[in-house]
Amino acid sequence: MNATTQPIIETLGLVKDFGRTRALDGLHLSVAAGEIHGFLGPNGAGKSTTLKILLGLIRPTAGTVRVFGVDPWADPVSTHRDIAYVPGDVSLWPNLSGGEVIDLLTGLRGGADADLRRELIEEFEFDPRKKARTYSKGNRQKVALIAAFARPARLYLLDEPSAGLDPVMDAVFRRQIERVGRDGATVLLCSHILSEVEQLCDRVTIIRSGTAVETGTLGELRHLKRTHFRVTGLADPARLAALPGTHGISIDGANAEFDADAADLGAVLAGIGEPGISGLTVAPPSLESLFLRHYSDRSDSGVQ
Amino acid sequence: MPGVVQLALFQARRDRVTLPVWILGIALLGFATSNAVVTQFGDEPSQAAILTLAASNPAFLFLRGLPDGTGVGAVVFFQGYAFTAVLAGLMSTFLVVRHTRTDEELGRAELLGSVPLPRAASLAATLLLGAAANLLLAVFVTAGYVAAGLPVPGAAGAGAAVGAVGVFFVGVAAVVAQVLPSGRSANGAAAGLVGAAYLIRGVGDALGTPAGDLLHVSSAWPSLLSPIGWGQRSRPFTSLDLLPVLALLAVALILGAAAVLIRQRRDVGASLLPQRDGRERAGVGGTSFVGLAWRLQRSTLAGWCVGAAALGAVAGALGPLVSETVSSVAPLKDLISRLVPGGQAGLIDVFITALLGVAGVFAAAAGIQAVLRMRAEEAEGRAELLLAAPVTRARWLGANVFIAAVSAVVVSGTAGTAAAIGLGLSGTANGPAGSVVPAALAHVPAALVFLAAASVVFAAAPRLSVPLGWGMLAAGLVLGEFGELFGLPVWLQDLSPFRHSSAMPVESFDQAGALGLAVVAAALAGLAAYCIQRRDLTA
Repeated sequence: MNATTQPIIETLGLVKDFGRTRALDGLHLSVAAGEIHGFLGPNGAGKSTTLKILLGLIRPTAGTVRVFGVDPWADPVSTHRDIAYVPGDVSLWPNLSGGEVIDLLTGLRGGADADLRRELIEEFEFDPRKKARTYSKGNRQKVALIAAFARPARLYLLDEPSAGLDPVMDAVFRRQIERVGRDGATVLLCSHILSEVEQLCDRVTIIRSGTAVETGTLGELRHLKRTHFRVTGLADPARLAALPGTHGISIDGANAEFDADAADLGAVLAGIGEPGISGLTVAPPSLESLFLRHYSDRSDSGVQ
Repeated sequence: MPGVVQLALFQARRDRVTLPVWILGIALLGFATSNAVVTQFGDEPSQAAILTLAASNPAFLFLRGLPDGTGVGAVVFFQGYAFTAVLAGLMSTFLVVRHTRTDEELGRAELLGSVPLPRAASLAATLLLGAAANLLLAVFVTAGYVAAGLPVPGAAGAGAAVGAVGVFFVGVAAVVAQVLPSGRSANGAAAGLVGAAYLIRGVGDALGTPAGDLLHVSSAWPSLLSPIGWGQRSRPFTSLDLLPVLALLAVALILGAAAVLIRQRRDVGASLLPQRDGRERAGVGGTSFVGLAWRLQRSTLAGWCVGAAALGAVAGALGPLVSETVSSVAPLKDLISRLVPGGQAGLIDVFITALLGVAGVFAAAAGIQAVLRMRAEEAEGRAELLLAAPVTRARWLGANVFIAAVSAVVVSGTAGTAAAIGLGLSGTANGPAGSVVPAALAHVPAALVFLAAASVVFAAAPRLSVPLGWGMLAAGLVLGEFGELFGLPVWLQDLSPFRHSSAMPVESFDQAGALGLAVVAAALAGLAAYCIQRRDLTA
């Protein structure tokens, strides 16, 4: 019973310092069993550091971390038994063939599922005989992905796993995520590719400068965000500024564009509902605008 | 051409720490050697004594070079030139491969290949940098000798000889980098050629003919096959001859031009020996840490074994020959019967003992290399992939240290076996054939201490492990080879594990010493296994 209610990943107030640099600054992250969790943030936000702490490869400076309810630093071996990992920058042994690396990595975890291994190699259109030295970035990525998916795991930690894959291979990758998701596995997916996150993830955590700034389902996050309006023919566009919850107003002749907070949508609609308007476009809040807000410094300081 | 200079400056910037360390290190070794000679062999009688001793001992000739008369400069050149030349060769081959084949393998060359310069511009820049580095080396070596009080013309000649050997190997490495597909294989092959040059010179010098006064030895023909032998022929402190130096530079020029021609005609990333496909599935043991460690070490180990086998064969096959040569010179015969207990048979032992000692250094180096491979695995992100599996770090470390220890045993064993075969073939009836394998293996405990110490450094201070790991071996070597020459205190010399190995067959086997070394090695390995669990994985 406990296994289903207890989160698979739980970190509280995670801090990691590298010398004078603070990579993580009180990170809270909770991933429930069976969840496909998007982990997003700009470069250098601390995503890879978090994954390394979850694997017990590095030790947090402060805070607690539990994977399957166990501290991965204290007991890496037992946690790793159920984890498949794809690092962000896949580096391989130049003199080993791709097939040998796949067998090595799955072998250390107890051996690959022979059928899965064969299917994955076929689907990823991968040539396992070539030496790793000759592989492109995409092919190195395939080695790590095949090794990760060729043996069932309870938790998949994936650090920008589709980087370097072409669109066809990316589709293969997404099918694999859906497959392990159906089998009830938990996935923590670091990504920059918004369509990937929208398609695959149930919940999302956005991290910035080592702190989680947003977490929730995509629906919840959208709800918090602003809707974009484009209105033509307002008699007095300057009046928009007086409406509650409007931001970023730009006026170009008869056209006006602005963003409105979700909570004030009713008031905004009533405010612009005048006889003269000749055009109205309303765009739902995109994941992209949400990220851009968190990724760039300027919008961050401007809105909070 | 301005583009080539610009590229060379860029490459020099990448080497701004590495090259000064090499150059200053080599120059400092030259300075220290001359300083020691000046203080210890300042007067002519003591110089004559050391030269006579050397002339009567082919092992000395093999390792150091040819005595060339009295005079501080001549003694310094005899004692230090061969080592200095090897270092210059290694500096040059590593420099060239780093900027050519390794860059191509890692895709950096492609980035530079897109600039509007000829295809071979980057290689030409590397050749330029190599030449400049060796010019600087020649200047600094000269300065080191002059600072120790040697005459300027001789010092300049010696510096030029060392620099010319370096330039020669710049050319050699440039060609090797065109032939072999990976940076590692190119580095191994080019460094192997430096080793071969030293070895061939050693054979020629050990077979050399001592002059009647025992203060000079002239080399036999094999020395002429070695660029290091050529440089030795410049005889800077006695009768300076720049012809060998010019010959070295001319051959280097031809080799460099050949490399440029090949580069202009081949694809980026391609090599004359192509990359072959590998296996589709892992072989037996291909899914364990020990199997992986073995897989990564075996080609390196093969390289060390070739070197050890060459040394052993030289020791076995040449020992009897050189002792005959030496004994045929009447004044030497008297000297030997006074100096070496056992006379001619004893001389064979001395020769074999010295060379097996060098094989022991090879064994330690092979082991250290296996241990330090863990650092490369960690820094390049592969350890992360491995340690995400449900296995402890201690097991990973243990597997690598185990393969390192196996390497040390195999290298020593190879040297001993080759020596035994060599002795057998040369038909020495009462020779120590049966005892040379154990004699070679007697150096294993000291090698184990070195590789275990390297594993502790790796486990405790990963970022320092490569310089410290090799630095410890270098320190051990300097203490062992030069400790007495430099007049270092005995306790300091005793820090070197090599000092506690039994120098068989001259000495008998020292059980307590071997056991002590083995215990220290085991304790260090245990400490490493403890430390590795308690640190972050560090890029």
